Amino acid sequence: MDLLSLARGPLLKVAIVVFCVGVTWRIVGFALLRIRRDYNEPRASLLKSAGKGLLAVGTRSWPHPEFIARTGAGEALGYSYHIGLFALVLLFTPHILFLHSLFGVSWSGLPSGIITVISVLTLTLFLAVLFRRVTNPVMRLLSNFDDYFSWFITMLVIVSGLAATAHVGGRYETLLGLHILSFDVLLIWFPFGKLMHAFYIFPSRAINGSLLARKGAVS
Amino acid sequence: MPDGSEDLTVGEMLRRHGISRRGFIKFCTAAASAMALPPAMGAAMAAQLRDARRPSVVYLSFQECTGCLESLTRSFAPTIENLIFNIISLDYDDTLMAAAGDAAEAARDQAMQANFGKYVLIVDGSVPTGAGGGYCTSGGKSAVDTLREAAKGAAAIVCVGTCAAFGGIPLADPNPTEAWSVAAIVAGKPIINISGCPPIPEVITGTLLQFVTTGKIPDLDEHLRPKVFFGNTIHDRCYRRPFYDQGKFAKSFDDEGARNGWCLYELGCKGPTTSNACATLKWNGGTSFPIESGHGCLGCSEPGFWDKGSFYSALSAAVWGKAGETSPKQSLQIAGAAVVAGAAIGAASAGVARARQSRQEHQHNSDEPKGG
Amino acid sequence: MSRFAGIPIRVEPPEPIDGLGGGVRAILHEIVTLLDRLASANEPAAIDLRSLPMSPADRIELRHALGSGEVRATLNAEGASTIQETHIPGVWWIEHRDLQDQLIAELIDITLVPDILARDREEIAEGMRTLREQLASTAALAPDPGGNRAGRQ
Repeated sequence: MDLLSLARGPLLKVAIVVFCVGVTWRIVGFALLRIRRDYNEPRASLLKSAGKGLLAVGTRSWPHPEFIARTGAGEALGYSYHIGLFALVLLFTPHILFLHSLFGVSWSGLPSGIITVISVLTLTLFLAVLFRRVTNPVMRLLSNFDDYFSWFITMLVIVSGLAATAHVGGRYETLLGLHILSFDVLLIWFPFGKLMHAFYIFPSRAINGSLLARKGAVS
Repeated sequence: MPDGSEDLTVGEMLRRHGISRRGFIKFCTAAASAMALPPAMGAAMAAQLRDARRPSVVYLSFQECTGCLESLTRSFAPTIENLIFNIISLDYDDTLMAAAGDAAEAARDQAMQANFGKYVLIVDGSVPTGAGGGYCTSGGKSAVDTLREAAKGAAAIVCVGTCAAFGGIPLADPNPTEAWSVAAIVAGKPIINISGCPPIPEVITGTLLQFVTTGKIPDLDEHLRPKVFFGNTIHDRCYRRPFYDQGKFAKSFDDEGARNGWCLYELGCKGPTTSNACATLKWNGGTSFPIESGHGCLGCSEPGFWDKGSFYSALSAAVWGKAGETSPKQSLQIAGAAVVAGAAIGAASAGVARARQSRQEHQHNSDEPKGG
Repeated sequence: MSRFAGIPIRVEPPEPIDGLGGGVRAILHEIVTLLDRLASANEPAAIDLRSLPMSPADRIELRHALGSGEVRATLNAEGASTIQETHIPGVWWIEHRDLQDQLIAELIDITLVPDILARDREEIAEGMRTLREQLASTAALAPDPGGNRAGRQ
């Protein structure tokens, strides 16, 4: 079987299965964990703290004013490439057709020229992000295999996608096969590393926010 | 066909058919132009061929639909392409020749013997090997045996059509007759694949003409197809390409967009992954080609194109089974099952973690210093 | 500032004077080169118009630029072909069509006279034979004035 048929055939099936099993496993696995009983007197009712918790998902989206000077640039960089990634993944017509073939849903996309611009911008931001990780001493100290590999595999998907659309670097089937193959690897890797933050940030912020609200602290 | 004309030169044959020297020069000029050769080559080709003895050609048809031969011979009116039949000495073709039965077979064997090592063997149709080769027999001999024998004395083998070149539709899943391409069965002979279902007639005649004139195999790609015709993909030369680049895709057949020339990617066009000359040479003497007529490219000149997913699902779509495409129902079922499995494993691992949590808490409680 | 003064300046005309696009100009330049070769070394040449990416507008421009000359020939062999001399001596525009009137080849021939118009020696010999036969067959029917013709056979 050639690369393209393998990548978008059996390997894709395996990747989706591993992704679904892994993500559900991790979410259920942590959702059913016990939370240590807090014997303190609650400063806010259960309802209020739950509400504050949900708010925290939004308010924690941007650093507190005291920290903006130190981390603002990094946060902005992160948001920018996330927005870029979502745009090109969800609004590029061949991607929409891919999702349509799998799940039957469909919506209209952006003109391909705009997608190309977004892709190139996202690629540049991605390189900037790696540069920051490697040059900033704190980040360099904290970074591990998970960080670098997650970056690498996402980068591979972006680069191979751009190469395939621009028809540079080889025959189209090879480039498309590589693009889908790297996406398969991304899906398989997803539940094992930091990419799980896509699912974790919401409960994480909500729980922390509500716990702090119960204690009467600002979240 | 053996009719006493085997010893005539090409020029004498043309004269016999009332084709003038100038008419032949026209034909060769057109063929040279189609092969991207300099126009002067046309006259040179004509001059060289006219005095040449017509090369012997044996045309064997196996597991095929005859579409390839029809592509070559049928037209609204006799076209200049049919001149190729005056340039070659077609010593055997069971569809075109008047003779049949033992006499025809004997004539073929005689021609092959007389021209041993020099004749061009043209094959169309795939070669079945199942049931001891019994799925395709002629005169009591299997296709496999006939091919192997004919290949022995061939100067070169030209596989016309995707069936001969790659196995085609008989080889498609589940391949009940165990069909193979010619290249999979014959080794040690120069092979030229002219794939397509059917191939463009000008591609067939151009390649034959080039081989017959130069005696050399043209530059071939990794699938043994002449690069001059198969060097570009349909996508590279498609006139709808600007719309692909802009992301303007037709949503359904013959809708407003399609009629305005928008790209047929969403309608399943396989142009980007298909190498052929359809976008430049076109069909029916340059009239049109599938994409120009509003239907996406099927990819018919590529190996295994019958099994590469639906003709109507986009190239970027998932393709899970060889026979039949992915359906949302199927993928949602698989994803759903995976989620359930994941949840079960998650619950189990949570159970283990909770037990550990309880144990730790119990230990912590028991380790706490008594009193203040 | 003196560095900028040192940059050579090339003046480009605001619009092509004779209204020709870049692609057509390139072809015309090539024709000039080939005409030079024909004049000095007696080497004919040809440009295959099908191999050049030309828009319909370019083609019309090229026709217009080359114009028409004194000679226009129609060749009827396996379809009609037109051999049109352009207003540039030695430059001929040839269109080959098949029996269905499809354009099968189009070229610009740079030569004294396009080779396809001429006949070769074999055809002359053939023609002589044909004419002799014709004379012989008509001689049998017509009254013999002096008997000279019968001698030549």
